Amino acid sequence: MLDMMIMQAGNGLALGFLYVLIALGLSIIFGLLGIVNFAHGVFFALGAYFSLTLFNLMGWWGIPLALVIVCVIGMITEVLLIRRLYDKEPLISLVVTFGLALLAEAVIRAIWGPQGQPFSAPAWLNGVIIMGPFIIASYRVAIMVCAIVILFGFWMFMNFTPFGRVLRAGSRDPQMVQLLGINLPHVLTGTFGLGCLLAAIAGFLAAPIWTVAPTMGTNAIMPAFVVVTIGGLGSYAGAIVAGLAVGLVQSLTIQFLPEASTAAMYMLMAVVLLLRPRGLFGEQWERFE
Amino acid sequence: MNHDKTQPFLMTGRRRLLGVAAGAATASTLAMPHIARAAEPIRIGLLQAKEGSIAVQAQYLQQGTFLALEQLNNELLGRPAEIVWDDEPSAQGAGQNALQLIQQNKVVALLGGSLSSDALAEEAVAGQHKIPFVINNAAAEEITGAKCNPYTFRLQPPVPVQAAAMLPYLQSIGKRWYFITSSYAFGQDIASSFKKLLAGIGGTVVGDDSVPLGSSDFSSYILKIREAKPDLIIGGLTSADLSNFLKQWKQFGMSDKIPFTEIAVGDTDLWAVGKDNVAGTYTTLWYYKDPNNSPSDKAFAAAYQAKYNRPAADKAWMGWYSAKILFQAINAAGSTKPDAIVEALQNWHEEDGGITVHFDKWNNQLVHRFLVVGVKKHIPDNWNYFDVLRSIPENNEAAEKAFGTAADSACHMTPL
Repeated sequence: MLDMMIMQAGNGLALGFLYVLIALGLSIIFGLLGIVNFAHGVFFALGAYFSLTLFNLMGWWGIPLALVIVCVIGMITEVLLIRRLYDKEPLISLVVTFGLALLAEAVIRAIWGPQGQPFSAPAWLNGVIIMGPFIIASYRVAIMVCAIVILFGFWMFMNFTPFGRVLRAGSRDPQMVQLLGINLPHVLTGTFGLGCLLAAIAGFLAAPIWTVAPTMGTNAIMPAFVVVTIGGLGSYAGAIVAGLAVGLVQSLTIQFLPEASTAAMYMLMAVVLLLRPRGLFGEQWERFE
Repeated sequence: MNHDKTQPFLMTGRRRLLGVAAGAATASTLAMPHIARAAEPIRIGLLQAKEGSIAVQAQYLQQGTFLALEQLNNELLGRPAEIVWDDEPSAQGAGQNALQLIQQNKVVALLGGSLSSDALAEEAVAGQHKIPFVINNAAAEEITGAKCNPYTFRLQPPVPVQAAAMLPYLQSIGKRWYFITSSYAFGQDIASSFKKLLAGIGGTVVGDDSVPLGSSDFSSYILKIREAKPDLIIGGLTSADLSNFLKQWKQFGMSDKIPFTEIAVGDTDLWAVGKDNVAGTYTTLWYYKDPNNSPSDKAFAAAYQAKYNRPAADKAWMGWYSAKILFQAINAAGSTKPDAIVEALQNWHEEDGGITVHFDKWNNQLVHRFLVVGVKKHIPDNWNYFDVLRSIPENNEAAEKAFGTAADSACHMTPL
């Protein structure tokens, strides 16, 4: 039984990295823009759909293009819709983006059809890797490696580039950033695009294990919200810790009580919020108090 | 709250009002049932999910249903007819929408029932309001068993009938079975039916996982199955859940190691998996490449292909066939009175595949042949996945044995 639990724990961490990737963009958009983006799952789904379509047309070279297209769609969405929500209550942004998610899912259904689309990992990533008590699918190891590289790259970007510093400053004191002569609206557009790009990457990575279907965004958005809430809204470290914790809790629950595997993450969220209402790494932000 | 950074983006009052109005209009359009035409025609209610994991199957069911009416030039009893399509957001919502179709849209009959849980809720409403209802997809036994009523008819053979048909194949593989089923009526029905069969042959349940509906990740279940080393896996997963499981099953390198089987699957679930990943033995009600399809089925398949530029999935046929039966019954009844339609449905029959297709009078279950299919070793294209292994039942005598008799049924039908 101990071996089985260790195996499930390892598998849970692998699943957790996927949750981290999905949730990270959501966390950035909330933390830096103050938008509760219920349409985040749409960009996740679009990442999968554009990757699939361009892969069929251009092979693997189509994948970067697909991710850039989703990023651009995200920026256009910000210009046309999202920026009108910055001065509104978070609840308004939630309602509007929820409507956007419904509309976008219908558009996806109209363009690509209701049926799931097959998209497989490369054949060399099928099979499992066995290391002592750990058994993990090769493709999931690939997801973990990608996730770690992306997380590290993002951390470097936010901390060691001028744009990253502007983003962080703008999220706390936008007036000061504007007084320094920085075009904040452009920065905010870029930030939303960055969040959508992360969602699209997660969608591309998830496509070979989850069915590429119009509802895939809806299925992804709830775990993402749970991760962001547990980690603390807008917290980069919180999203990582919470994503791994949710994956771990889900895997271990499946071992003992599979019926409760979905409920388990909500239970975890309830316990964390009872003990620490701002989430594990949530900070006090003047804008949201 | 800090308003400074967004000051340049503030909307004017009129633009805000327009935005709200546009949003409300969009929302109301999404919420309203789709109405095919707007005259004063005979209305048929269609309850089929528009969102959620079952929406993929529902889309094909809906397309087949609309095609059946189009083939009649959108006329019933010489009058214009239309289909009013409403959603099945949940079991409770499905029941409410059934009631709305009956009371507000004044439909004369209902079609639908994407999921067993939805169908059971709709069935209760149809029975209470005495409206004929033909269920085109749900397979849970109790629909035409303990929860039956004289107004509800069902196309899909119940789970125990399909399970029994699989037994000879499964028995030859082994007697240590692992169950992975969705935690709702259909999945529970599969688990209980196959467990009874397994007990009958002296087999062992080596694992039994009930999976929340709408699960995306099955890796932890696959690790459990791998550890349990069963001879066979009995699946009871629906739609996208099944697709997700099979994709991940392949990724864990298991599809060549432990056989997987499931009843009442949809073509679309397996098409979504991709021909490189799919494996297993299944039952399905209809297959577009079955050489024994009737001439009218072949004509339907051709019409569907012409309209949608892709082969007809089994679910499209199920939508079409249910609607065809209902429409023929309405025309045969010569009336839209519920009791007349019910009587016509009970008397409806046609010959197909060596058996008389009809509804059993004691439970309103359609007696129709279904197929045991296996995934081809070399799948030639993106659609033609199956070899038809067997068509069941072969004749009327076998049909009576497979579908049971009134004495076997838990249905106690009340008079009209």
